[in-house]
Amino acid sequence: VKIMTASNFVEHTVETIATWQGVSPPNDVALRLVADLAKTIREFEALRGTLRFEDEPSSFEAALLEAASIGVAL
Amino acid sequence: MSAAEPDLADLSLVDAAEAMRRGEASAVEVLEACLRNIDASEATINATVWIDREAAYTAARAADAALARGAPLGPLHGLPLAHKDMYYQAGRPASCGSLIRKDFVPDYTATVVERMSAAGAYAFAGLNMAEFAQNGTGHNRHYGDCRNPWNPAYITGGSSSGSGAAVAARFTYAALGSDTGGSIRLPAVANGVSGIKPTQTRVSRYGVMPLSFSADNVGPLARTARDCARIMTVIAGHDPRDPTSADISVPNYEAGLDGDLRGLRVGVPTNHFLDDADAPVLAAFEASLKVLAERGATILRLRMPLMDAITAYASVISRVEGGTIHAQWMRERPQDYAVHISARQFGSLAIPGVYYVEALSRRGPLLKAFATEVFGQIDVIASPTIKICLPTLAETDVDRGPPGTETAAMGFSTNVRPFNYLGLPAISIPCGFDPKGLPISLQIAGRPFAEAAVLKVADAYQRETTWHKRRPVAVMA
Repeated sequence: VKIMTASNFVEHTVETIATWQGVSPPNDVALRLVADLAKTIREFEALRGTLRFEDEPSSFEAALLEAASIGVAL
Repeated sequence: MSAAEPDLADLSLVDAAEAMRRGEASAVEVLEACLRNIDASEATINATVWIDREAAYTAARAADAALARGAPLGPLHGLPLAHKDMYYQAGRPASCGSLIRKDFVPDYTATVVERMSAAGAYAFAGLNMAEFAQNGTGHNRHYGDCRNPWNPAYITGGSSSGSGAAVAARFTYAALGSDTGGSIRLPAVANGVSGIKPTQTRVSRYGVMPLSFSADNVGPLARTARDCARIMTVIAGHDPRDPTSADISVPNYEAGLDGDLRGLRVGVPTNHFLDDADAPVLAAFEASLKVLAERGATILRLRMPLMDAITAYASVISRVEGGTIHAQWMRERPQDYAVHISARQFGSLAIPGVYYVEALSRRGPLLKAFATEVFGQIDVIASPTIKICLPTLAETDVDRGPPGTETAAMGFSTNVRPFNYLGLPAISIPCGFDPKGLPISLQIAGRPFAEAAVLKVADAYQRETTWHKRRPVAVMA
């Protein structure tokens, strides 16, 4: 099994996209933006353990309605 | 028109509508004023994809006839409007700024266009835009880059590039844009006009090209906050054809504009929104706060919570949803996208579903936590819309620029994108100019469905200032 590392991140990610999506890198800029995904990974890593999932169902639309009245003077 | 005659196209949308209502201008005269500016400046600005002059004259004459016979007049009666070329109108092209949809002619019409038509307006042009609404600069490889009326070497902002430029250049009085990660507010800044992204679900998206099901918003760009208020009153509200649209009553936003900010609390972020801002932007922003205070607002500086999470999650949702929509074309026609568009979509295909679901599932809880901490203390958030002075088209041309250009091209949406993730309404209005003569703007965001408050603050600011009345030198009458 080939393990993804920092040094083969782009190559491995391109192979993953080809396997799962059937799309090849269209240009060099695409490869640079794939490399930038490492930043997204770091951002998500930094959030681990800081937030928890709620057990009960929720919806964003309901949250919008609920938040609309927060802090509104009655 | 002689040099001494005023340009009717220089009026705001509301003033033009009222001039026609009073019989001081005809709809044909108003149309011809817009067409004169197009003929004079379109070769420089490149804001339009198509113009239907014959239909425009037919509509203008019909508007004049209705006025003459005393027919009931809508709030947008006789106004020639043009929209981002992704609003479907039966029998008219909707290129979506793309080669792939160059010949696409929908057989149905967007709800928002129908509502504006019912209010008396007519659409006469399709406006340039970023390809499939996917950049914040206004570059377009297929129809040519849209150029800034204040200085054609600079970006117009995107993705509603033509909407911002056409309103600034007096080609039209207002234009619909769309905003998934700042695409109304960024061109509002760059072109020195006003533009509002409504609350997520506030305005129907039926008949509008999708980019991101969760983050797309429809809204207007116009000269003034009052213009935006009039349009929002027309287009907002539930649409049975868009089941995601909120079923909440719509106030008359314009009626609520009284210029009085007493009792209103304006929050100024002490983190994120001002970090690394350019000095001219900071100076214009601080000056704008004084104007709001003079109108009676209380200014309170406070930390915006959860910004790391909001920023990280905001970047994932639209990329994954856009990548999903375009995956099949990426397999079959990758060469038909501009380099920077296909590159963006390619990377999005690697983002794990687990990340996407994490970002989506935490959206509601994060909104409630953010609102509790922030809107428990203040009513609206003020910030610069863009933190830096505008870059040039060349500096942000990813397709032709050196490696690293993509960072410059994507780096100025940091203050707008959080409000897409949170779903909050946010308006951008001009608040100054940088040393090179390019516009700087103030962003006002509010609670969900608090468009009335956001518009009221923006209108109060514009009662005291004249930035929004300035006309680009490139298109001086």
